[in-house]
Amino acid sequence: MEHLNLLYPEFALGSLALGLLVSDLFVAPKHGRLLYHLAWIISIVTLCLIGFTISDGAHFQGVGTLWAVDPFSQFFKMLILLTTVLSLLMGLEYRELPSKHAGIFTSLLLMASAGMMFLVSSTDLLLTFIALELISISSFILTGFERRNPKSNEGALKYFLFGAFSSAIMAYGISLFYGATGSTRLLNVTQAPGPLMILGLLFILLGLGFKASIAPMHFWVPDAYEGAPTPVTAYLSVAPKIATIAALMRIFTLMLPASMLDLTSLFTLLAALTMTIGNFTAMFQTNVKRLLAYSSVAQAGYMLIGLVAAGTSGGDVRGIEGVLLYSFIYVAMNIGAFVVVQAVATEAAAAGAKDPYGLEAFNGLARRSFGLALALTFCLLSLAGIPPLAGFIGKLYIFESAVKTGHIGLAVVGLVNSVVSVYFYMRIAYHMFFKQADSAEPIALGPYLYGGLAVAIAGVIIFGIYPEPLIASVQSSAGFLP
Amino acid sequence: MNILSLITFIPVAGALVILCLPKEAEKPIQITALIASGLSFVFSLFVLYAFDRTTPLMQFTERFSWIPSMDIQYALGVDGLSFPLVLLTTFVTVLAIIGSFGIKERIKEYFFWFLILEAGMIGVFEAQDLVLFYVFWEITLVPMYFLIGIWGGPKKEFAAIKFFLYTLSGSVFMLLAILAVYFNTNPHTFYLPDLMAANANWSPRFQILVFLGFYFGFAIKIPAFPFHTWLPLAHVEAPTAVSVILAAVLLKMGVYGLMRISYGMLPLGFHWFLKPLIVIATINIVYGALCAMAQTDMKKMVAYSSVNHMGYCLLGIAGVTATGFQGAVMQMITHGIITGSLFLLVGVIYDRAHTRDISAFGGLAVRVPVYAALMFLACFASLGLPGLAGFISEFFCFLGSFQAWKIYAAISVLGVLATAAFFLRMMEKVFLGPFNNKWAGLSDINARELCSILPLTVMTVALGIYPKWALDIMNTTLVHMANMFK
Repeated sequence: MEHLNLLYPEFALGSLALGLLVSDLFVAPKHGRLLYHLAWIISIVTLCLIGFTISDGAHFQGVGTLWAVDPFSQFFKMLILLTTVLSLLMGLEYRELPSKHAGIFTSLLLMASAGMMFLVSSTDLLLTFIALELISISSFILTGFERRNPKSNEGALKYFLFGAFSSAIMAYGISLFYGATGSTRLLNVTQAPGPLMILGLLFILLGLGFKASIAPMHFWVPDAYEGAPTPVTAYLSVAPKIATIAALMRIFTLMLPASMLDLTSLFTLLAALTMTIGNFTAMFQTNVKRLLAYSSVAQAGYMLIGLVAAGTSGGDVRGIEGVLLYSFIYVAMNIGAFVVVQAVATEAAAAGAKDPYGLEAFNGLARRSFGLALALTFCLLSLAGIPPLAGFIGKLYIFESAVKTGHIGLAVVGLVNSVVSVYFYMRIAYHMFFKQADSAEPIALGPYLYGGLAVAIAGVIIFGIYPEPLIASVQSSAGFLP
Repeated sequence: MNILSLITFIPVAGALVILCLPKEAEKPIQITALIASGLSFVFSLFVLYAFDRTTPLMQFTERFSWIPSMDIQYALGVDGLSFPLVLLTTFVTVLAIIGSFGIKERIKEYFFWFLILEAGMIGVFEAQDLVLFYVFWEITLVPMYFLIGIWGGPKKEFAAIKFFLYTLSGSVFMLLAILAVYFNTNPHTFYLPDLMAANANWSPRFQILVFLGFYFGFAIKIPAFPFHTWLPLAHVEAPTAVSVILAAVLLKMGVYGLMRISYGMLPLGFHWFLKPLIVIATINIVYGALCAMAQTDMKKMVAYSSVNHMGYCLLGIAGVTATGFQGAVMQMITHGIITGSLFLLVGVIYDRAHTRDISAFGGLAVRVPVYAALMFLACFASLGLPGLAGFISEFFCFLGSFQAWKIYAAISVLGVLATAAFFLRMMEKVFLGPFNNKWAGLSDINARELCSILPLTVMTVALGIYPKWALDIMNTTLVHMANMFK
């Protein structure tokens, strides 16, 4: 256990999360908001701790431990914490949440984040597994946090059953890998991969793919996302996804490079399948949460393109950078979309709508609050990859890396999928702009939602028009350490 | 001074100001929109004044690195091919904004999207970097979607999404083609002049593939047969001013791209495609005219006449002669002006009668003489009557392509006949013959409508009588282009 000190941000976050759990005993439910504030401040402090290390080479090392602390992992850790902060801000405005078990909720959220931070650093399958379990178990509970909402229970149960199953398979895969190589370390794997090891790796891929909602391991996504409280949905649709994709990248492109085991065609297939299934299923959704759930499946597919490009033998660093860039932008645009969805649904529920997350709840939003409708439209267009928004830059970067490494077919599939996605993203816009509203009341937007939305929209627009600083920081963060 | 950036982004600034105004402040919103588009027009007049007509090179160039890590530059410039179109855009937009003052609902959103649309259109004609070009190209889609979908006719939602998806599916292939050329130049670049210089190294096969990628995007926009099906729907459902923009400017983006990028950057691909292109041009001309003839809805008729007129542009381009190019660019300008006024005029009658059915009217010339006169003039110009703007451009298109494509030019002449037929039939049924008493209460064109239409009419006559000043702007560039690969 060398260099344990390098993980101090994770330890800080984990122990403060435990502190929140305990403090739940002493804080009255009506002061629950206090714990939320505490939690997001903790996240920001941790973010800063990582931020300080990122420019300092002395903080990076990997060899000889279970984990690697390198620019790549630090970048993802910051993204995860950013998502955590934004989700907590959303939670503050979510009616069902702050008053009930605030300490448990916030501590679970921070635990999950800590798990993701371990995950993106992990270079040992054992640590990967433990981190994944930490994420999973926290997420199961978070999904079912609205105890009186049957959908929440249903989603949590499905998520749990699928999740437990995939964890078991992954554990089995790890044992096979151990059997083949005699170690759970990914470092210094020198054996030529035999059938045992390949089977083990495929099982590991399956377990990770489940978390990243890669088709065909995505069936839990719509139900869990629909049932979960909206801030949790926002969190789940972003943080675990990018963290697992980072882990996939570390394992399958860096630790086991294509020269050793070439899984490019498998990943190509998965990427194409994930995009296509996500987009084509999203077309038929009438519930915005489910729609965004399928859209997030599709988004994972786009990120996989970058993974394919990075993993191709002779592939270049552009694929890695593309995934980093896209993850960053994805945080902004997806959280932005969920913020507006939450604001609208809260209002709709107050007005007694049958399905507050139905597309009908968005009817005439442009007339009620033009700014809010415009903000959501920007997020959706960015998700669809329409310039001059940030999502376009991300897609361009990823498609560029795909074309460069010769995956033209995959790029074509991705581009066609972008066109398809416009159809359902614009269906929300259709309800917002073309339909008549039932009421003319503007939608109330609380200060924290407002803040979160402002951050997200600023990211979507500014990095669309002037992405250079972001790309520069991504390029400096694409460095792996073994 | 970065005058081209000013022209492009003043509308955006106007749109942001409108965003900040309260939605009840209808007058200030309208005035802001008018000022923003007007300023943009005034600056383009400055450029017209300073424009050097003797050089084929890019003028007023601006160039700096926008996203250095992706080799994307912010590069603008105009030459004799693009500047007339920039001028057309700013000119028509001002008039379309005046024409939109009749819009009654959701004024704030309307002008917001309209100004964003203008910025995108101007940018397309100025961009000298392919990614920048693509960005501007796509920027036009979203405002158009909302403009058709909110303020359009009965089937507006479907028309809007069809327009969006149709054009987007074309442009994604364009994006792929852009990436392909990027990786096949050394050093990698998106800068158009550099790419034009680099094309000698590209194999014919590569050029053909890339050409097809670009062509797919452009053909949908033009619209070239068989990708024209979105156009009648979008045109008919769009509000008047948006139809004007759609016909006068948006379609030109496709033809412009074909000339600037497909021809200038991919000569081998272009020459490989000449034969299909002339066939498509002929089909556009004849088939467009025949379709127009079959319409009973005036707006739909004008929409199909656009398909027909864009065919002339393609015909001129397919000639690959200086005359043909002049005809094509001139046709873009005159079609923009004439069809713009036709759509505005159809809008005028629709606002009053709430129908555009040709057979519902009759003898209107007695009741609305000024309106009828303007309409007659626009129709005659559109069918190519000598002395008006349409004639000179169509003539040049035929002249330029006749040498290379005698038979196709001959077939296309039939299209001219059909064009004359449907316009004359429309004029006869609507304005001549016995007066239909149902329309006894019809009022003649009012001052605001006149403000938006009259400048176009004046231009129609002016360009018809003295086309030289317009030709002078484009001449040097087009002659240079025509001889580029000789």
